[in-house]
Amino acid sequence: MITVEHVSKRRGSTQILSDVGFEARPGRVTGFLGPNGAGKSSTLRIILGLDRAQEGVALVCGRPFARLNRPLTTVGALLDGSGAHRSRTGRAHLRWVAASNGLPRERVDEVLAVVGLTEAAGKRVSGYSLGMGRRLGLAAALLGDPEVLVLDEPINGLDPGGIRWMRRFLRDRAAAGRTVLLSSHLMGELAETVDDVVVIDRGRIVSRGTLAEVTGDHRTLEDAFFALTSAGSGDATPGGR
Amino acid sequence: MRIVRAESLKLLGLPSAWIAVVIGLVVSPAIAFLNASTTVRAIENGTLTVPGGDAGYQELAFGVLGAIVLGVVAISSEYLTEGEESAGARQVTTSLTAVPSRTRFLAAKTTALVLTVAALATVTTAVTLTVTRVVLGDHAASLTADTAPRVLGVVLYWVLTSLLAYGVTLLTRNGVIPLTVLILNTSLVSVTYLLSRVIDAANYLPDLVGARMFLRDVRSSVQIAPVTGGLVMTSWVIAVLALGVAVFRRRDA
Repeated sequence: MITVEHVSKRRGSTQILSDVGFEARPGRVTGFLGPNGAGKSSTLRIILGLDRAQEGVALVCGRPFARLNRPLTTVGALLDGSGAHRSRTGRAHLRWVAASNGLPRERVDEVLAVVGLTEAAGKRVSGYSLGMGRRLGLAAALLGDPEVLVLDEPINGLDPGGIRWMRRFLRDRAAAGRTVLLSSHLMGELAETVDDVVVIDRGRIVSRGTLAEVTGDHRTLEDAFFALTSAGSGDATPGGR
Repeated sequence: MRIVRAESLKLLGLPSAWIAVVIGLVVSPAIAFLNASTTVRAIENGTLTVPGGDAGYQELAFGVLGAIVLGVVAISSEYLTEGEESAGARQVTTSLTAVPSRTRFLAAKTTALVLTVAALATVTTAVTLTVTRVVLGDHAASLTADTAPRVLGVVLYWVLTSLLAYGVTLLTRNGVIPLTVLILNTSLVSVTYLLSRVIDAANYLPDLVGARMFLRDVRSSVQIAPVTGGLVMTSWVIAVLALGVAVFRRRDA
């Protein structure tokens, strides 16, 4: 369970988030949608305690992330790239992550197998493709078999097979009663994966509800998205994080 | 404890950290060998009667390069970007999602660094002083009651220097500037040393004042006792670290 309430953040004179609030519930995949630069990554980073909000609270299983002891057993996170230093091997990266939370070494090989990186585990991360880096990041997120997954653009960089695999994987997690929150700017991919949708635009939540509720009278989620956000008006700023 | 273990795995899993260890281990003994050989020849020629009192120790002041690199990469590795395709991706996001308390994270990282550098300094000091004694042979000064505190001084100097580099990198997040400045100052052009020739107060800059812990023949008009040297250098390090930690705790990762 993730609860975000009245979160606002400024960076310098720029208002990045304004009164952002939503929930991601157990047993469901929640899609966090918005154009590039809308504030998706900032919100996820605030949930994970990486960035600070000036106002509001973000709770994971009822507690601020920073208060969690051995957080990997509660929350797995996948942000940009792999999150690994490029001169380490994939296995060495997972080993220190496991050690930091007192997780057994066997988990490293288990998660490598889950994401299909067993053969590349001894290679340096600098030699990984973008997709392999994403898989390594996901492997780190799964080390503690967490209750909650927070994934920033998880299908970015994956090949079609990888996208299909990720979709099934996330559905299975939710079916097992876990909480999955993922951000994306790709509507088509999302519509087949999510149960609930939260739409953010220019730092404000513009819609939230079940997939059917947010889609409303529009033909598809994509149509609803363009109607709700500035993405269709041509003035969206690409390239933000 | 488990976080210290993770931080040790992280530090010693970096190729750059091993390069630093090798630099630390090789530089001082190699120069000590060359210097001691020169000294022996000078004594045999009659141009010198006894070796200098800082034989072996001077070289250890120089070999601290390895400790500097370790201190810098311990932090800069966290902020190294992964490359063009994912420019915002850095190891620090993984570190802080695994250990959210920034205070605990830095405490563990600092401990791992101190343990590594202390071990490296101890081994290097033993090797360097042994090389010096073996090459000097009969000309070597006998061990005195001052040897143990001097060795301790070298180890402290290496640890404090690495912490200084680490603290500065916490502020810059990027290793290039601290590496360039600190390595140049230690090796090619010692700006702090040149300053100390002009301004007396410059003798209290961290690298110079700390070396007083184990150097006994410093050519300077300012006399500083070993313990004073250690205390002043420690104060510098605490000040820089306090600033680095405060900034790290406040700043978005």
